[in-house]
Amino acid sequence: MSGSTTDSAPEDEQSGPPETVEPSAQADAEKVAAVRRVSAAGRRWRAAQLAGCAALLAVALTGGSIAFGALRDGGTATVARSSSAALSPGLMASGDLDAGIEAVQAHLRGQPKDFGSWATLGLAYVEQARTKGDPSRYPQARQALERSLKLAADNEQGLAGLAALAAARHDFKGALGYADKTLKQNPYNERALSSRIDALVELGRYDEASQAADLADERRPGIPVFTRYAYVHELRGDVRTARTVLERALSTATTPGDIAYVATALGQLAWNQGDYDTALTDYARALAADDAYLPALEGRARAQAASGDRAEAIKGMEAVVARYPLPGPLVGLGELYEARGADGDEARAQDQYALVDAWTALARANGVNADLDTALAAADHGDKAAALKAARAEWARRHTVHTADALAWALHVNGRDEEALPYARRATATGYRNASFLYHRGMIELAAGERTQGRSHLGSALKLNPGFSPLGARAAREALKEASE
Amino acid sequence: MTPISRSGSGRRSLATLVCGALAAGGLAAAGVATLEPGAASASSHREAPLISGDPQYDNTDVYAFVSPDKPDSTTIIANWIPFEDPSGGPNFYQFAEDAQYDIHIDNNGDGQGELLYRFTFKTHIKNKKTFLYNTGAVDSLDDPDLNVTQTYDIELFRLKNQKVEYKTKVADDIPVAPSNVGKASMPNYEKLRDQAVYKLPGDATAFAGQADDPFFLDLRVFDLLYGGNLSEVGNDTLKGYNVNSIALQVPTDMITESAHQPVVGIWSTTQRRNAQGYYSQVSRLGNPLVNEVVNPLKDKDKFNASAPWDDAQFLKNVTNPELPKLIEAIYKIPAPKEPRNDLVDVFLKGVKGLNQPPHVRPAEELRLNTSIKPTDSPKRLGVLDGDNAGFPNGRRLTDDVIDASLQVVEGELVGSKNDLGDAVDKNDKDFEKSFPYVALPTEGSRGPLAKGTTSGNDVRNQLGDALSPAGTSGSDNMTLIAGSAGAGAAGIVLIGAALMWWRRMRRRAY
Repeated sequence: MSGSTTDSAPEDEQSGPPETVEPSAQADAEKVAAVRRVSAAGRRWRAAQLAGCAALLAVALTGGSIAFGALRDGGTATVARSSSAALSPGLMASGDLDAGIEAVQAHLRGQPKDFGSWATLGLAYVEQARTKGDPSRYPQARQALERSLKLAADNEQGLAGLAALAAARHDFKGALGYADKTLKQNPYNERALSSRIDALVELGRYDEASQAADLADERRPGIPVFTRYAYVHELRGDVRTARTVLERALSTATTPGDIAYVATALGQLAWNQGDYDTALTDYARALAADDAYLPALEGRARAQAASGDRAEAIKGMEAVVARYPLPGPLVGLGELYEARGADGDEARAQDQYALVDAWTALARANGVNADLDTALAAADHGDKAAALKAARAEWARRHTVHTADALAWALHVNGRDEEALPYARRATATGYRNASFLYHRGMIELAAGERTQGRSHLGSALKLNPGFSPLGARAAREALKEASE
Repeated sequence: MTPISRSGSGRRSLATLVCGALAAGGLAAAGVATLEPGAASASSHREAPLISGDPQYDNTDVYAFVSPDKPDSTTIIANWIPFEDPSGGPNFYQFAEDAQYDIHIDNNGDGQGELLYRFTFKTHIKNKKTFLYNTGAVDSLDDPDLNVTQTYDIELFRLKNQKVEYKTKVADDIPVAPSNVGKASMPNYEKLRDQAVYKLPGDATAFAGQADDPFFLDLRVFDLLYGGNLSEVGNDTLKGYNVNSIALQVPTDMITESAHQPVVGIWSTTQRRNAQGYYSQVSRLGNPLVNEVVNPLKDKDKFNASAPWDDAQFLKNVTNPELPKLIEAIYKIPAPKEPRNDLVDVFLKGVKGLNQPPHVRPAEELRLNTSIKPTDSPKRLGVLDGDNAGFPNGRRLTDDVIDASLQVVEGELVGSKNDLGDAVDKNDKDFEKSFPYVALPTEGSRGPLAKGTTSGNDVRNQLGDALSPAGTSGSDNMTLIAGSAGAGAAGIVLIGAALMWWRRMRRRAY
């Protein structure tokens, strides 16, 4: 540790927050070397050796990401005397999250027993991971929250923070458990009330989620609850309520983070209904509040594509993928290239799909459960058997409309349409108006010989949101035409 | 253009592509997904903001006093939106349109409001094409250059056992005094504020708008009680910050039960319209410091959602308060013996013979005996210093409720004389001599806020006698107290900690 600033970090490991570790030049050099090594390795290797590359990369990055965290947090944080007022999550909401985190860190160097601030820090890390698409914050968040709970057992901020963290990492059972534990301490805890709805939704327990949303709304009306309340209603096909509540939420939003989030949710809702003009307006509103908000950038690109502005859509999606190469946007970009069909576009598209495969391999190689999107992406553009395996695994964990749809589609692409049918029906059973689900169901029904139903669902998909996917919509139209002949 | 063009011309191998992409854009993201099982980046479920702000619904302080310049009237002031920062350009703050800002008056001591004044706000935007607050210098409240304005309505409800017996609209579309965004925009802010003082029928007066936060303290140390050690001193938290105030002056006989029963209990609440379309109470405040200092953390939200007539559920927090025990643990000042019936009087029932109504039901209200004449020379410690026109008989803007509350909590009324205080005896800005009494807001666009000490006044030694023995005892506390003495006074430490605890818990987004 090279203490270059006036306030030295606490020396003993008990009181020293992990993120106060000064970045050492050595760690930095190691990281660079590791990346170079991996790149060099990558140049030599063929696609078949991807997994090996991925593993090596992962090892290299394990060291690198820790150094990253330290690099970002060290140095400047210690210079400023924290104003105590900057320490609460509420105040952080009104200002710059990064600056707020620095202030809490500085404060905790002097007051390492302040469990409330540890919880705030942990939560701020989760929030940073969310807004920047940077999950390197999650381990740090966990450490901070655990520190908080070690200092004060069962303190509600710490527990609520763990609930939020678990949800962010897709451990929805864990999230539900922590939320319930928090609510035992304080039945009015807004964050726990919200996490509880999230967890129930993601576990597919929609009736309970709806009750939880009503209760949360009665106890703590506000943007965190409104957005969940709207989503629960959207999942049941009640688009009007969802829109009304989100618009109300937007009218009361004051911070850039809130405005960007709520406006993006409105954009997604409009896009799902095929109302691209409204979606574009909503995304513009979100980006006016925060021009780097990734979900809004992605949503805008999709809405542009759907309304025929492919050039802008590709530009936008490229920017998203460059910052955050996740399966969803990668597939979106790949399909846009394919749909354009210009010289070299096919190769470009395959590049994107290859990245999805690599992402999946990278995740698997390290014991990470492939995400739901990975299963869907692989079903359409990758290893079909792997897609089915992933979808089955996800279904085993939780029965939601999303996992039902993914499993149905994965079964379909593997030629098991009879098996797929009940899952496809289940995916649309709540009334959730999602063109992709309807398209999947229609295609499966056609393949299973249920022509009337199949035609009807394909027609519904195209009527609801004709731009739901550049390739999917094309396939739906062709299948519909064929089935009608 | 693929996102990973830097790998050069020619046919890229897949592996290069992968490594390149991950190393460039998603290095941190993908890298750490590999760190821990289950840490996959979320994209298939909705990620909502964890840190969400709604200060517009946050009630910070309530004041109630017999108007010094109009002794047959009572003034009630309630503040919302803490920490309004006027610095760094045009900041403006509005009352929420989906909220009901309520002032409750209990005039028979039953813990239920007999009168309810409800303030509701509407926002008006003259030019929707610009989001600018003002488009030029603003000279009056109806200046076309003042682009964003608010107006409010006042309704009066008379209730019996929580049922509305009578309801009337007291005022319609009264203008709100705008946020003071700076000299260039508002060369004569005082004029705007004067225009927002509004005469109501029945000889009442109302005001709503921005004001300097009248709460005063010099926060020398924070988090001591929960942090457990001392290292930070210095920043003044509230100086220079504004709030949004609602003030109401009404003839006293309009709100009291009768001339023979002049004690009223006052509190304020904020209700917010929820997704289901009706209103939920999200904030409640009467006596200063009760929810903040007396109630433990886990009860604070419940308190905010509850009503005074149900306050029996919090009784134990008052009879067996946390704060003196924390102070004892840190400073070795013995906590007064429990149960603390003296605190029940001060915080829940009113002081007997002073501001306790007959047949009182213990409930957290700011209790004011309106028959006690205002004094020309108010003492900041109010009743503790023999000035019965002040806190805890109601609360005047100049009352030093921090010092008074701490002294009471530490047993001033049960024989544990102490002189605890925060070394700040008055607000940094002078209050007005007439309605609405609150000071003009600090204006915007004046550069960064001044931090730290500003005069000799705030480092005055307020060391209480009770602290000395602990400070010289040579234990760990030695360092603690020595450190604080170096910064000014141990008394400061104490109060700073309590107060910061209070302010922080109020602001937390939990």
